[in-house]
Amino acid sequence: MLRFLNIVAILALMGSAVYAYTIKYQTSYRAEQIAKTRLEIKNERDAIAVLRAEWSFLTRPERVQELADRYLDLQALSVGQIVSAQSLPDRASRVDSIGKKLDALGLGLASTPATDPTVVSTTPKGAKH
Amino acid sequence: MKPADIAPPPVWRRFLAAAFSTSLVKSSPRMRLVALAFVALYGAIGAKLVFLGFRPEPATLRRAAAEAVAAARPDILDRNGEILATDVKTMSVFAEPRRLIDKDEATELLTAALPDVDARELRERLGSKKGFVWVKREVSPHQRDEVFHLGLPGVGLIAENKRVYPNGPIGAHVLGYTNIDNVGIAGIEKYLDGQGLADLHGAGFNLTPEDLRPVSLSLDIKATHAVRDELRKGVERFKAKAGAAAILDVNTGEIVAFASYPDYDPNKPTDALDKDHINRMNVGVYEMGSTFKALTIAMALDSGKVNLNSRLDARGTLSFGRFKIHDYHAQNRALTLPEVFTYSSNIGTARMALGQGVEKHKAFLRKMGQLTRMRTELPESAEPIVPKNWGELNTMTIAFGHGLAVAPLQAMMAVGALMNGGYLITPSFLKRSEAEAKQDAPQVVKAETSEAMRYLMRLNAEKGTARKADIPGYFVGGKTGTAEKVINGHYSKTRLFTTFMAVAPSDKPKYLFLTLMDEPQGLPEDGNYATAAYNAGVITGKIVERVGPLLGLPPRFDPPTQPFPLLARLGYGFVNTPAAGGGGH
Repeated sequence: MLRFLNIVAILALMGSAVYAYTIKYQTSYRAEQIAKTRLEIKNERDAIAVLRAEWSFLTRPERVQELADRYLDLQALSVGQIVSAQSLPDRASRVDSIGKKLDALGLGLASTPATDPTVVSTTPKGAKH
Repeated sequence: MKPADIAPPPVWRRFLAAAFSTSLVKSSPRMRLVALAFVALYGAIGAKLVFLGFRPEPATLRRAAAEAVAAARPDILDRNGEILATDVKTMSVFAEPRRLIDKDEATELLTAALPDVDARELRERLGSKKGFVWVKREVSPHQRDEVFHLGLPGVGLIAENKRVYPNGPIGAHVLGYTNIDNVGIAGIEKYLDGQGLADLHGAGFNLTPEDLRPVSLSLDIKATHAVRDELRKGVERFKAKAGAAAILDVNTGEIVAFASYPDYDPNKPTDALDKDHINRMNVGVYEMGSTFKALTIAMALDSGKVNLNSRLDARGTLSFGRFKIHDYHAQNRALTLPEVFTYSSNIGTARMALGQGVEKHKAFLRKMGQLTRMRTELPESAEPIVPKNWGELNTMTIAFGHGLAVAPLQAMMAVGALMNGGYLITPSFLKRSEAEAKQDAPQVVKAETSEAMRYLMRLNAEKGTARKADIPGYFVGGKTGTAEKVINGHYSKTRLFTTFMAVAPSDKPKYLFLTLMDEPQGLPEDGNYATAAYNAGVITGKIVERVGPLLGLPPRFDPPTQPFPLLARLGYGFVNTPAAGGGGH
């Protein structure tokens, strides 16, 4: 009986030792991973900082203006090019120009316009906005 | 038992038996010896610990390096979040002279890898007894690899923060710059250090850029670029010595755009020390010329002694002792108050100031912040030059902007107050809201006076001296100012300092524009005139036209029907009828 208990105790001891070491190795592995990831994050952050600086360096208005002057056929915006939303004309009524042309040529569905709703040339709703 | 059995056990067994014997009587002297040995051992360890505890901490390499490297700084952003200044990591080479084996060899190898390091000086530094010395700061990636491959013991690389300004000279005078240790030397950079950043670094906090909240400035980088571009073109076109321009949001006191030309690149801080590159908006003080008339007229209107229908005698010259005051656009008749402004009559404004008296004039200018140093976030500022003995003659000349030199930004603050309904808001380079700005802004003139001033500015842009800046759609108001520079104690007729103030839109003021030019030259196509309207006025017009859409100022093609309601209620209905040839076009 005593011998059996001793064996159990020894086994339990060995088991717990193995378990403890596993935990320990796992912990140090994870700690290493964390340190590595931290370093990676730091490197990424530094890289982002450099890229952001580079982006604003490359998109600085001075350079963009020079490039636009050289390669684009654009002019400075004049006040006359700005229009207010109110002064825009109302939306034109929808016209089925192809259908009309077909009608004019006598090829269209002009004989049955009322029966086919898809070729209604004007929609009353289109005039509103 | 056999006799062999009772033979005494070998010596080692006897020793072990004695040592492990539990019999106290038998082993007590030995036990005492052992105990004594342990006491001595632990005592020695304890004593050493106490000794170590009292000794000052040796400067470790890590600590020395942390103190030496350039600290992190917060990013500086413009009002829309564009980067104006940021930190990037660079590598620097350091050495630990104590750990170097062969200093001569190290010097030779390092100077071979870093050709721009002076060999003799480096040898001297490596010969020192310090634990940490710099070999070279901010090396290129290629040099970094070379130093790394040298594999010298006692020579290492360390990452440092380097301040970069991606936009170069745009906004340089506001941003300022830092030295190689990332300490702010000028501008907002220095201001940030004054806000506790330097203290944190000093206390040993190793701040990373992630810990630091970015700082948002009031500047708009695109508008600032546009202003600088127009200013640069103007300075070149009119062959001026220098120029400056700024845009102030009159309701919040935010400086939206700021340029002083010639300027410098904050990435090359040595350029900033050039005398020619000073910040002319804030650091230079100038006699502002006729733009100051706005203050005089506002004072007179605010006192109630004159009104928009008053007439002032502007005939001939105004004599005071041996001094005579002339009008540049002399009309030789009695002028109404609006005419005094639009013809920019020196005599008329001088009479108005005299009508108030010296003391009231002084008190008004003090209230408007023109007699004391104006402090913004920028550490650089200038004291106004105020006459020592301020008599009637001084009041007369200061009324039209001669005899009192102020920083142009300071004059902008005062004119801004005349435009925004009467609130004197100290300009700010940091982003803020209107409520924050008006919190402690005193009302210095009545709302009616402010509206009358806006009417006068608008009238002047419609048919006065400010016509060149009347960009259709923005309902611009403006005032020119041409001051003669003092050369060898006399006012020079040919060396001018011209200013132009414009407000847009005049009915609901949003932005105040100021352009100034130092010694512009007249162009043949302008009839060689070099007064403000021909240079500063033209540039301001271009700035308004270009910056208006950028700042989200919508152009209006129908002029406002009731731009000045307060004045109309006071019985000046004529202010709301567009002047002939003017209007919103």
